[in-house]
Amino acid sequence: MSYIGNKPTAVPLTSADLEDNIISTAKIQDNAVTAAKYVEAPSFRNLIINGDMSIAQRGTSFTCSNSTGSKYTLDRFQYIDVDTPDSVYTITPSTDVPTGQGFAKSLKVDVATADASLDANDGTQIQQSIEAQNLQHLKIGTSSAESLTLSFWVKSNKTGTYVVRLLQPDSSSRMVSFAYTISSASTWEKKTISIPADTSGNINNDNGSGLNITWWLSAGSSYTSGSLASTWQAYSNGDSAVGQVNLADNTANEWYITGVQLEVGTSASDFEFLPYDVNYQRCARYFYRQDYNTNGSSLPVTHNYGTGNSYGVIFTPVMMRARPTLAYSSASHFLMLYGGSQGAPNQLVREGGNGFAQEFRVDRTGLTAGQSAWTRLDNASATFDLDSEL
Amino acid sequence: MENIDTVTVDYSPITGQPNCYVVRFTDSEKVLSVPLDEENRHYQEILEWVAEGNTITDNGGGE
Repeated sequence: MSYIGNKPTAVPLTSADLEDNIISTAKIQDNAVTAAKYVEAPSFRNLIINGDMSIAQRGTSFTCSNSTGSKYTLDRFQYIDVDTPDSVYTITPSTDVPTGQGFAKSLKVDVATADASLDANDGTQIQQSIEAQNLQHLKIGTSSAESLTLSFWVKSNKTGTYVVRLLQPDSSSRMVSFAYTISSASTWEKKTISIPADTSGNINNDNGSGLNITWWLSAGSSYTSGSLASTWQAYSNGDSAVGQVNLADNTANEWYITGVQLEVGTSASDFEFLPYDVNYQRCARYFYRQDYNTNGSSLPVTHNYGTGNSYGVIFTPVMMRARPTLAYSSASHFLMLYGGSQGAPNQLVREGGNGFAQEFRVDRTGLTAGQSAWTRLDNASATFDLDSEL
Repeated sequence: MENIDTVTVDYSPITGQPNCYVVRFTDSEKVLSVPLDEENRHYQEILEWVAEGNTITDNGGGE
């Protein structure tokens, strides 16, 4: 009888029989492993949207401070200030990426104004909230709950301990926090964090926030005074960010992140790259921008309901998460053409609609009921946004 | 939302009913129209702004 290790060759091997890295690629004959003998990583396994930072509809530079408040930066990634930190950051999409990994963009946080002495309640964060109905397969709160693995590439000139926290808004902010170490200054490092299954939490099956993934940049003593919550527990300020360095303590500091992936299981698979259009459409569920430069310069033709208003419908690329806010840069950035005349509208207003169809209204005096009108984005700074972010 | 100047109720010319909140800011010409919907994060922020003691302007319906 022949053996592989201490098992007869007639007995199928399991992964437990194989020492890590014991079988190199060179030892496997070409085409020896058939499709029936391997399991492909599932598509859309990454619960993070825009983890490769390739989509940035809102712009190319974001000033973030307590006077500007929390704000979305690159698509789906939000800067959050906690209480009133004195730091000012500039957040940009960057082409500084880990070599040879396939990434083209990263999210860069640059300290523009330092805050070397944090008040106890001050903190700054980068966060992505995941829609709850996309998380039901995690079976949170059941005995079958899944373990998760979070992986990402990170780089900073400021070495030391950083903290990432996961939090369930539907479960009284139940949370778990993990420390990761940036060991080498200004060097890309891949971090992999194993997250235990949570058999006691809760994520509602709806379109609200189900899980917040938060990378701390700075944290006052209110968030570092306890013991780091290394297993799922009830919310505790003091257990949130124990050990977190203060990235904001010097204007020379910067922090980069890309390749963010959160997936079911106990190990990190290769980053799941999506085609640009698919990535964009996933982002557009939460934010859709039409601007002067890239997406065309016209809103849909509208119909004058009265002498002071004209109605139209925008069909978005995908169904939006919820009824969106309509935001525009300035009424003076638009030009309304009607009945042989033209001029800036008084205002643009969201009316009804949901899902794919968003109804809007353009107000201006001097219109003729029953006629059509046409409104253009007429300034290089003009933006027309539909925002249903979490 | 920081630096809110005014929040005004917009009435739909079609229904005559409150349609959305129009938000203007002290530091930019940006304008938001926010649906009256608790699932909308800007709506939630307006409720917080009101809780801080601010007032939504309601001029009533009609053009």
